[in-house]
Amino acid sequence: MCGIAGVLFKNPGLNAKLGETLIEMLDGCQHRGPDSTGFALYGGDSDTSEFVLRFHVGTGDEGSENVDRVVRALKEFEAQIIDGEHVGSTYRVTVCYEGDVQKFAYAMEHAAKLFSIGSTLDIVKDIGGAHDVDEVYDVHSVDGSHGLGHVRLATESDVKPEAAHPFWATGFSDVAIVHNGQITNYWKMRRLLEQRDYEFHTDNDSELIAVYLADKLKHGDTLKQALETSIDDLDGTFSFLVSTKDEMGYAKDRLAAKPMVLYENHDLIAIASEEVSLNRLFPGQALDTTEPPPGTCATWSR
Amino acid sequence: MVTVDLSELPVREANDLIRKAGADGEDVEVLNPDARHHIGVGLAHPITVRIRGSAGYFCAGLTDGPRFEVESNVGWGLADNMYQGSVVVGGNASAIPAVAIRGAEVVVKGNMGSRAGQVMKEGTLLCGKNANFMAGYMMYGGRIVILGDSGERVGEDMTGGEIFVGGKIQSLGAAAMQTDMESAEDNELRALLDRYEIPFAGTFSKIVNEGGNLRYANPEPRRRAIPFFTFSGKSSYWNEKVQEDIYVKSKIGRYRIRGYGGARALPHLNDIAFKKDLSTAGSETDAVSKVNLHTEVGGRHGAKPLRLSMPVMISPMSFGALSKSTKLAMAKAAAMAGISENTGEGGMMDEQREAADQLIFQMLSGRLGWNVHDMQRADGLEIYISQGAKPGFGGQLMAAKVTEEIARIRGIPHGIDLRSPSRHPDILGADDLVIKIEEMREATGYRIPIAVKLGAGRVRDDIKIAVKDGFDFIELDGMQGSTGAAGNEVLDYCGIPTIAAIQEAEEALADIGRRQDVDIVLMGGIKDGIDTVKALALGADAIGMGTSAIIAAGCIACMQCHVGSCVVGIATQDPEHEKRYNVDIEARNAARFLESVRWQIAALTHALGYDDIRQLNREDLVALTSEAAAITKLPYAPEYRSGEHQIQETVGIQRSGSQLQ
Repeated sequence: MCGIAGVLFKNPGLNAKLGETLIEMLDGCQHRGPDSTGFALYGGDSDTSEFVLRFHVGTGDEGSENVDRVVRALKEFEAQIIDGEHVGSTYRVTVCYEGDVQKFAYAMEHAAKLFSIGSTLDIVKDIGGAHDVDEVYDVHSVDGSHGLGHVRLATESDVKPEAAHPFWATGFSDVAIVHNGQITNYWKMRRLLEQRDYEFHTDNDSELIAVYLADKLKHGDTLKQALETSIDDLDGTFSFLVSTKDEMGYAKDRLAAKPMVLYENHDLIAIASEEVSLNRLFPGQALDTTEPPPGTCATWSR
Repeated sequence: MVTVDLSELPVREANDLIRKAGADGEDVEVLNPDARHHIGVGLAHPITVRIRGSAGYFCAGLTDGPRFEVESNVGWGLADNMYQGSVVVGGNASAIPAVAIRGAEVVVKGNMGSRAGQVMKEGTLLCGKNANFMAGYMMYGGRIVILGDSGERVGEDMTGGEIFVGGKIQSLGAAAMQTDMESAEDNELRALLDRYEIPFAGTFSKIVNEGGNLRYANPEPRRRAIPFFTFSGKSSYWNEKVQEDIYVKSKIGRYRIRGYGGARALPHLNDIAFKKDLSTAGSETDAVSKVNLHTEVGGRHGAKPLRLSMPVMISPMSFGALSKSTKLAMAKAAAMAGISENTGEGGMMDEQREAADQLIFQMLSGRLGWNVHDMQRADGLEIYISQGAKPGFGGQLMAAKVTEEIARIRGIPHGIDLRSPSRHPDILGADDLVIKIEEMREATGYRIPIAVKLGAGRVRDDIKIAVKDGFDFIELDGMQGSTGAAGNEVLDYCGIPTIAAIQEAEEALADIGRRQDVDIVLMGGIKDGIDTVKALALGADAIGMGTSAIIAAGCIACMQCHVGSCVVGIATQDPEHEKRYNVDIEARNAARFLESVRWQIAALTHALGYDDIRQLNREDLVALTSEAAAITKLPYAPEYRSGEHQIQETVGIQRSGSQLQ
């Protein structure tokens, strides 16, 4: 129930425009989802022991209390806080942490809802349109190599920041997903993954896809291989985009029930639910776009 | 020539200018289209529109007559439902180009997305390069020409028409087969290509329906109808009806089809009673003048609302399932009663439009009889997602009722067992639906309220989607609703009872705080004014009556609607049977029944101490059974059973003060 977008710059000269580019693309398809908007932004250099965590904490006194709880939890886990900021309804904190990320992530989930952990990934999402979210979180000034975006029409769950997309692969750093569609074998797949001791912190099928892919990556698959098997393993209608530290990819179901349009030039690769989002980047130009065929996937590296 | 620059004007204003240019006979050039949606929607004049760039969804949709030229690409639903006219696209088309066209010529010089030509009826779709999967899905007629390769399952479930493929055929769809081609056909294709200056030296393969699935293989044996009450679930387990069912299946080896509503006892409005003692409700003969019954539906977002003299509509029933005479009687009765009539599936008739003061035009998945002209002369538009009697299933019209006239209006081959698709080609999620609604608003100048009809299933989610997508009103249809034809088990075992549907709907709207943003019209087995008042008190803004209206107009409830030989001339297209039906007499009967409904609504509302139906509320009600209490969360008060009985007697026997006798 939504619109998705993704961009990967081949030309690093464009990195300063990452936030701006995604805002434009999402504003272009906001009619597909006016309730909430979110961004998965990949920026900065990756340092294996330094992570950005973004928690949903809320605002006002409740927000401050939640921040305190998060800080206590981080200290308990011996994560060294480098920098923290309570912005909008989130708490963005940079920490130095050297242990097992999965355990760390699950423990932090008990302190407050965790939007993402990444050495380069930061997920920003909230209710409202692309420009509303930008106003609070200053998305347009984010510099980065690639990113995903999502506009959501809330149907089955409420309009709240936690229910917004993108989702990260709970427990895995730097894996994010945006998804348009519905996975119908959700519970079957979730049980399978839960048997491997993965935790799920929402009932959202996008979280499932992210964890499914992250599990494949953990076991040595390339992102391309993971996407290929996802087309067989996941049942339902889907067009989704996934990104890791270095790659972006898509997969599309065999029924092609959800739209997706792709544009590539020497500077960038851009994918969106509708061409109107791509045209936002190139006003007045007729673009040589392609529509990925049903049952296909692809990946690009930065 | 008129120039429209979309970097300066929103599409809505641009379309006004394009339509005005159409009326003035001037051609139009569209600059900076940048893949915006709905360009040229609703244009019904033969002008040329040149789009300098890419267009988005539904380019040239709901049109008749114009010529469109798009320099680059187009999004989903190119030339949706286009009648006459043409579209030439220089680049690629996304999914479902030429969906539901009725004669247009659509040329895509690049590649086409999936399901090209879905439910097309007549006309040509020509693709210069490759087609994605399921081209010709559920097409009823016309031709698709693919010069390159066709994707998987080309011609899936096609009913009529032809597909010509110049390249490789990846695989044939169910019901499709390759056949020989005549040289005259080949010449015709070459002439078509020459006209668009598309070179092609290869040869064509021709694909058509393989002929096996247009009719049910084994017809059901004709048997004497078993009366409705015999199998209401209250007689013995292996009752006469169950035995008959097993016997018939032993002959035909498949599920059975029948008409009418479910026969199983379900929690319903008669399991709910009024808390107040209404034993004197019948004493106020002039109740109608003491209660405000006037109801407006669909005006909450600026469209012109339906103005109903009471909170009642005639439910959608098709010309096809019902005879033309019956549809006319319904239109006349609705006009006499000051309420709305509904076309149901299968198009609008001129006589019906003329007879009905207020007419809702229904759009179904097969787009049978759907067109821009009738949209523009309707008073309401309705997207049918499903109906209470068979939620999630497509419509069925047995061959006996698919006459030449009905086939022509619907744009389908004559004499097939028509099974309408269960899904819309262009509504695969709430996000697509937003764009579809906008297309319909564009085609009708934002004047006409747009409704969604939902068969009760996942009501809670569906209602939220409907209100978020901006529908003006929702027709919510419970399991007790009837149909012209459906699988026997579907009728009795699929769906959610009407009282559960309204309860879930109200809770869903309360959840998201949007009750004030939409009107709910409740349908499904509502039989009189007493049921109506209970439905309103449960939260409905208005109700729909289908079965009760046709019973008032002569139906004998024999449940053989699907057979096509209805003895009273209602559910039939046989002219000999239809002769038995007297339109004017039956229209007056139905109108007289509607007056009794009016009086009952007024008398009960008055007796409950109100002077406006909008004052009715849940506090007025109790549940008589534990099931009804669990469903509606009304207090369980079986002791009111005798009180309920009394109301039926006092209000039931009161004659209406109709002036129509």
